[in-house]
Amino acid sequence: MIEQRQAVQVSPSPQPWIKASARLPIGRLSLYLVLTAGTVVVALPFCWMVATSLMTLGETINRQWLPSTPRWQNYQTAWTEARFAVYFLNSVIITVTSLAGLLTTSILAAYAFARLQFAGREILFFGLLSTMMIPEAMTLLPSFLVIRGDVIPLPGGSWLNTLQGLTVPFMASAFSIFLLRQFFKRLPVELWDAACIDGCGHLRFLTTVVLPLSKAPLLTVSLFGFIASWDSLLWPLLVTTRETWRPLMVGLWSLVTEAGPETHLFMAGATITLLPILVIYFLVQRQFTEGIMTSGLKG
Amino acid sequence: MPTHAFRLPEALGRRLRRREAREQFIGYLFTAPAVAVIALFGLFPLGYAFYMSFYAWRVRQGPFRGLRNYGKALGEPDGVLIFASAIALLVLAVWAWRRARRAVAGRRLSGLLAAAALLVAAVAAAVTGWGRMLGTGDVKFLNALPVTAYYALGSIPLQLAIALALACVLFQNLRGSAFFRMVFFLPYVMPTVATATVFRSIFSSRDTSMANQFLALFGLEPQQWLAESRPVLEILFGWQLGGPSLALVSIILFGVWTFVGYNVVIFLAGLGAISGQLYEAAELDGANRWDVFRHITFPLLSPVTFYLALIDFIGALKAFNHIFVMRSPLAQGTVNTASMVIFDTFYLANQYGYAAAQVVLLFLMILGVTYAQNRVFGRSVIYD
Repeated sequence: MIEQRQAVQVSPSPQPWIKASARLPIGRLSLYLVLTAGTVVVALPFCWMVATSLMTLGETINRQWLPSTPRWQNYQTAWTEARFAVYFLNSVIITVTSLAGLLTTSILAAYAFARLQFAGREILFFGLLSTMMIPEAMTLLPSFLVIRGDVIPLPGGSWLNTLQGLTVPFMASAFSIFLLRQFFKRLPVELWDAACIDGCGHLRFLTTVVLPLSKAPLLTVSLFGFIASWDSLLWPLLVTTRETWRPLMVGLWSLVTEAGPETHLFMAGATITLLPILVIYFLVQRQFTEGIMTSGLKG
Repeated sequence: MPTHAFRLPEALGRRLRRREAREQFIGYLFTAPAVAVIALFGLFPLGYAFYMSFYAWRVRQGPFRGLRNYGKALGEPDGVLIFASAIALLVLAVWAWRRARRAVAGRRLSGLLAAAALLVAAVAAAVTGWGRMLGTGDVKFLNALPVTAYYALGSIPLQLAIALALACVLFQNLRGSAFFRMVFFLPYVMPTVATATVFRSIFSSRDTSMANQFLALFGLEPQQWLAESRPVLEILFGWQLGGPSLALVSIILFGVWTFVGYNVVIFLAGLGAISGQLYEAAELDGANRWDVFRHITFPLLSPVTFYLALIDFIGALKAFNHIFVMRSPLAQGTVNTASMVIFDTFYLANQYGYAAAQVVLLFLMILGVTYAQNRVFGRSVIYD
């Protein structure tokens, strides 16, 4: 517990050498200047995006910084012209399905790696971790052949253009297992001893005791899973040959490649795809950054 | 095993063994789903790519081709051998240099000279071998290797330096640092396809794009940015030395913009783990802030820096979506990293067997670079 608290508390009381310098207002002012400059660099592209998305075609070409009158109908045009309604729904279904799978497999595996004794545990764990080093572009082709049903027989023949083809490969991630395991390991052993006396099995213990205590890492894993799934472009591009299950990012990409000079439309499209993540991030950002900090260190 | 002071009753021992066996079983049961998915879509593909790389494979499996897919990528064997000997010579040079530094004064000079000679030989072999490979191999694939290296070497030091500076500032516990931390992390969580779309317009070649308006503020000529295949060094100074194109630099800037936030957060965690007593002691000794940073903060952060360098390196190799969205045919392949070329061979050219050979080659190179990174930097990392 102590170890964990150290990692979570990232901004402890100011160090003495800082206190001394903080007395100088000029020093502090320059620090704020650095931070503000960073914020401007981060924020400017987003402002550019929103401003452009509200312009007319002429305004995007002659370039003003702000549209004379905001044209909200751009969003409607992008939404209908690029069939975003279908893509958006697809993306939501795909993301929720893979997230549900991801959480189930990761929680179970992380618990086993953190708490259970079984032969070959460490080898298995580091074998899984090593897959984090492999770029997606390298596994893409054989995975594609697997999904097409060329390598092993799949129920239903080929999984091209199906929900399972889009989601099953993303239903486990070494990173999520690693992050949850780090947290589960730090829970006190006494909890399990107490539960054991009460005659509690591993699954019951996991769902009733461990999970309610693990909200921050679960949120972190969920948000990462959500982003990975929402942001995936390559895989859906490969395994969807028809419109039925095309997700949002493929829609945005074809809007960008087909819209040509209509910058305002694809900026509106980009804003639409970005909004859900923005909202979720603002809701959970605190636990999220803390969850990453605990995971990132003390491997 | 030490002999037990007392024996467990037979029945209790059996129960314990049963419980252990049960735990084994549950362990495998719980890990099975995750292991199955990761094995099938994470590990198996590498093995299968190895198998595929020996066949002519266009959409469907064709006849056995032996090593010809590799030959197509790398060119004639002599070029590859010369290039490989360059790497061996380089390793020898480093070894000789290390030995010479430890040698007694009289023999040090000759040792250093030997190391220098080995280094020159290594460079000569590398240049000859590489030229031979470019002449007989697949230029598209081979060019992807320097592009990937530029991308990694251009983005990793930049994002580490910026992130370290921002993290140190944020760590001063200023009012509102939580807000700034959240802001800096924002680009990292946003969908890359969307943000890359935005940067595509920011770095467009129009005179009115944001990047060109920024240049205009300083009275500079508008540039072609993502559509520019000429190397930056040539544009800036007129040097014909090669190096990354302006298009690639634009993409690197996007990468830095995206990943700095993650590095900031991890650096912050690392700063929080450094004991405050060290700072107090330094203050008693009258150290100024730069001394404190150089002799305490930076060395004690080195495990974190090393970890981030590794993560950023993997990230640079994985970089795909944003390059895919931001690349323009006008950049003439100067932004195509290894991942992009593999994807093109597979998806656009439908040469599955050849793409698989490229996958295996890239994998071997990742292994080599990671090993080298560990050997070179792993030693200078200080663990407290």
